Parts: sequence; C-alpha cells; structure tokens
Amino acid sequence: MKKYKLFWLVLLLGVLSCEKVFFEENLATTDAQKNFEYLWTEVSEKYSYFELKGIDWDAVKTEYSAKLYEDMPQDSLFLVLGGMLTELEDDHVNLISNFNVSFFGTRFFGQDNFYRRLIEDNYLERNYYISGPFAHDFLDNGEIGYVYFPSFQGTINETNIDFVLERYKDTKGLILDLRENGGGAVTDIFSLLSRFVEEKTLTHYSRIKNGAGPNDFSEAEPAYVTPYKGIRYTKPVIMLIDRGTYSAGSFTALATKALPNITLMGDTTGGGLGLPNGGQLPNGWTYRFSITQALTLDKRPDYENGVPPDIQVLFDWNDLTTDEVLERAILELQ
Amino acid sequence: MNSIKITIIALLFIPLSGFTQDEQPLTNKEKRQNRTTYRGITYAALGIGSLRDFATSPLTYTGVFIAAGGFKINLDKRRETEWGTPFSVGFFANTFNDHSSSSTLVSFSPYYSELYRLNALSSDKLNVKIGGMLQATVIGRLNPDLQNNSLGLEIIPTLFGSIKGTLDVSRTTDKDKKFLFFKYKREKRQKSLAFRLNTGLVNASYRNGFAYSGQSFLVNETQLFDDYQFKVFSGFRMSSSLDYTLYSRKTTNAVQISYVWDALQTGGDLDTFEMAQHGLRFTLLFNTK
Repeated sequence: MKKYKLFWLVLLLGVLSCEKVFFEENLATTDAQKNFEYLWTEVSEKYSYFELKGIDWDAVKTEYSAKLYEDMPQDSLFLVLGGMLTELEDDHVNLISNFNVSFFGTRFFGQDNFYRRLIEDNYLERNYYISGPFAHDFLDNGEIGYVYFPSFQGTINETNIDFVLERYKDTKGLILDLRENGGGAVTDIFSLLSRFVEEKTLTHYSRIKNGAGPNDFSEAEPAYVTPYKGIRYTKPVIMLIDRGTYSAGSFTALATKALPNITLMGDTTGGGLGLPNGGQLPNGWTYRFSITQALTLDKRPDYENGVPPDIQVLFDWNDLTTDEVLERAILELQ
Repeated sequence: MNSIKITIIALLFIPLSGFTQDEQPLTNKEKRQNRTTYRGITYAALGIGSLRDFATSPLTYTGVFIAAGGFKINLDKRRETEWGTPFSVGFFANTFNDHSSSSTLVSFSPYYSELYRLNALSSDKLNVKIGGMLQATVIGRLNPDLQNNSLGLEIIPTLFGSIKGTLDVSRTTDKDKKFLFFKYKREKRQKSLAFRLNTGLVNASYRNGFAYSGQSFLVNETQLFDDYQFKVFSGFRMSSSLDYTLYSRKTTNAVQISYVWDALQTGGDLDTFEMAQHGLRFTLLFNTK
C-alpha cells in the first residue's frame, strides 16, 4: 500500500509544477533591442500596405536600429519605435505608452476644409436637431436637408436615421457632411448606406494578410450594400469629405463610388482603409497597424492614400462668412 | 522540449503495463443497474491562473478565477461514467514596466469521461481505473488595450487518456481520542481520496488565423469565427484533480473538496495560446440511485 501512496504523491507534486516545463519562458523585458526586433517583425509579417506605399522595411530597420543604445531611457526608445512606425505613413498605426502616443497625421497633408462654428452661425437655426450621431437642419428655405455626421460611434439605429430621412423626404436633395469624420464603427457604414440604395450593390472588396510575405493576402472578398427594408432616400445626395475624413469615413466615401445617386465633394479623404489590429510589446506598450486592404471595384488598393472627390472644392479661409464647399453642394442640388 | 514531454507522458503510463480485466460473469445490463449515480454541484471554486496569447502579446497575464458547474457520475468498482459542464470567470492582468493591462476571461468546458478498473494495480483499498475523457473548452477573453484584437475566442477540443486512483481512507471503527485535556470520539465514516490525471492524446484547437482579426464585418457579413482555423494533432494539454470525499453518516450523499489543475497550449504553425489554472473546488454530491 505504501508504494501506491508514494506513487500518487510523487505524481501529484510533479503535476503541480508541470506547466513550467511545457510553457515558454517569461518574455517580459525592457531591453531596447528585443522590443525593437519584436515590433519590427510583427509589422514586417502583418502590415498590409508596404508595396502600395513603396516602403523598404529592411532599410527602415537599418536606419532606426542604429539609433538604439544600451540602457536608453524609455522616452528615447519610444521616439525610435514610434518614428519607425511613422515611416508607414498611416494613421491606423500607433505606438501607445502611458506617457506618449505616436501618430502620422494624415490630415496635415491637406488644408483644413471644415469650420463647424461657421456652419452653426451662418447656415443652421440655433435649435437645429440632434438625432443620435446626426446634427441636422433644413437649408435653402427648406429645399435641402443638411446632416452633419462627425463620427461613426456605432450609434446609428432605426429610430434616429428614420427620423432624419422622414424629416427631409420632401427636399430636393440631402447634404451628408463627413468632413473631419475620423471614423469608428464599420457597422455604421452599412447601416447608413443601406438607406441610399434601391438594389443590392457591390461597393468594394477587402483582403486580409494571411502570411508573412508582403503579398500574402486572402482572396478579395466582395462587400455589398443591401437596401434597408424601410425608409430610404432616393433623391440626390452630396457627401462632403476632406483630409480629416478617415477610416470608416473613407470606407463610406469609397463605397459611394459605386452608388450613382451620391456625389463626393470637397477634398481627398485621409485614407485609412486598412483594418488596424492591436498588440502588445514585451515592455508592456501597445501598438496597432493595418492588416487588410480595401480594394476598388477594379481591385486596386490605391484609395488607401485617399478617396478623391467627384467634385473638388476647397474652403477659403480668407472669407469666414461662407463655407464654399457647402455653398457648392447647395448649388448642385438646386 | 519535445523529448521531455514524451518522457513525462510515457512515465505517466507505466502503470498501464500488466493490464487485465475482470472475469465476473455479470451482464452489461446487470452492471448498469448496479451502478451508483451521483449528481454533483460545484457551488464554489476559486483559484489562480495564468494565460498568454502570443498572437497579441508575449506577456503572461496572471489572476484569479471563480467557477461553478454540475456533473453526473455513474460508478461502481469496475466502471465510471461522468459528464459535466464546468463554467468559470477569471480576471487576469499583467503589470510590467509601469504599464497594466487586464483580461477578463469566461470559460465553458463540457466533458464526457469513461473509466474502467485496472485490476493489476487495484486492491481492496485502492481502485485504479483507466480510460479517456473528451472535453471541449470554450474560452472567451476581453482585453480592451488590444483594440481591434481585444476579443479572443478559442475552442480547445481534447481527447484525454486518463488514469484515476481512488484510495479508501474510511474510518472503519469508532475511536476515542484525546487532545490536551479534551476527550472526543471519532466515529466510523466512509471517506475516499482520489487522484485523477488526464493527458491530452489528441489535442486540437479552433482559433484565429494568421492576422488574428477577421475582415467579415468589413464586407458586411459579420461572422463570429472569422478566418478561424482548426488544428488537430498539435498542442499540449494536461489536467488533474485530487478529490477528498466525505460521505454522510445518515444519508448516502457526500461532500467533496478538490484541488484541480489544468494546463493547455495550442499547437500549429501560428502563434500559440497557453493557459494554466490551479483551483480549489467545493462540491455537493447527491446520491440519486
């Protein structure tokens, strides 16, 4: 009997610490070189726009690894790693610590094309409506509806969008203002666009990284917008965009290229058509970068650099009484 | 590493040599009718654990979990059939370099197990059974710091080889005891101590693909298991439990206190997920047959 008890006891004690044998060692480290290698490799294997942007990631490694040194302060390491990521020229790429966040700043590569206070002062009534994420009112003596949509918060629902479209059903046209809309929930894109199509419409394609090579992607998956089975708006729509229109905003702009009743007006969007992932470095900082490509109907990824407007109009900052972009939109709809 | 794993697993199965079976001429129906049935309710379980998903972070998250669940077990000296549905919620975190991240975990782990007596290692006091267990562990994790990768969802199906030894530690006679100046009586009581070890023979995982995120919602066709891949015959899993069961003097019910351990690592050529849990489990056993 004693030998059995001993057997079970040894087995039990062995099993209690068994996982240490099977699991990999603790990889937490503040070592600059190890964190650099980790981040560089993650981006190298999974970032989706090297080819489009003509980025030589090996050359970037050579350039930035030369800036590393032993026992470098956290802030200095952050500037090196953040600087390396900035080379990707993508605002879906960030390095995040509790003392700094790196970013590219796409919107600075075009002029500011939107001044909200001017619209509130000179175009809208003081008691304009706010329905969910939409701020809206009549323009041009009630002939045109204006809907400002500043962010894709995932809050578009049947109630608020039904109210908006019902209110402007008798107008000549609708202006949907997505200027400086930085994006957000992708689900809102389809909730919104489903109100402006009369038949199932192929709008774009998407493909995702599926291997470590720069051109290892999945098959291009088609994206369709399906008509909402309820209130829809069938008259002309002008969507206002600018360099601050990013991510989900750019996706929406890209999709409208396939919708004949929507015209894009303003300036080229900021892009941001790659879905950003999320991850953590061995030193606890987090990061994100694009891992998909949105493709046009002819399967090109070019609009990552910005979706161009159908009609280009720029804001004149010498005249702060008039929104030239909005004025042009009103003119088009009259 | 692989040679260590193989050696350990081989050592664990040494007792299986000399395997023989009973020769008592009972029909299967008679055997089934004679088996006792217990329904167990784990009303409290708590423990500590760690997890690491290399697809999103090289850092190990540690924390605590609470669990509950129920199971049904039919057993006699020759055979033991058990199925159950444990459920747990865990709160894990990593704090390193003045940065903290947390991961909330929900896990559901239904299982079915069959064990048969191994006469070569059994005696009146010790009953050794061997067999297998099929378990599918569904793990959901939420770590907001990982942004679009904040949600982790895995299914880990495993076919285990199992061995269980149950030692009868019953007090068969009343005993008069004395502690300092206090006299007390310890009445006879049925008790058992059991240790069970499960080693993954067929390890599998249903887990995210290369990029971890999926793109289905980008094309207006949201899927829960977007770009998931099923990997089989790779990975590692092992679990064990040490159960101390105290039977009621007045009824045939019992209470059970267990130490449970579970460790797993997914396999395949993609980034792996690993998790280990150590817990203390309190169970009520109701004899229903």
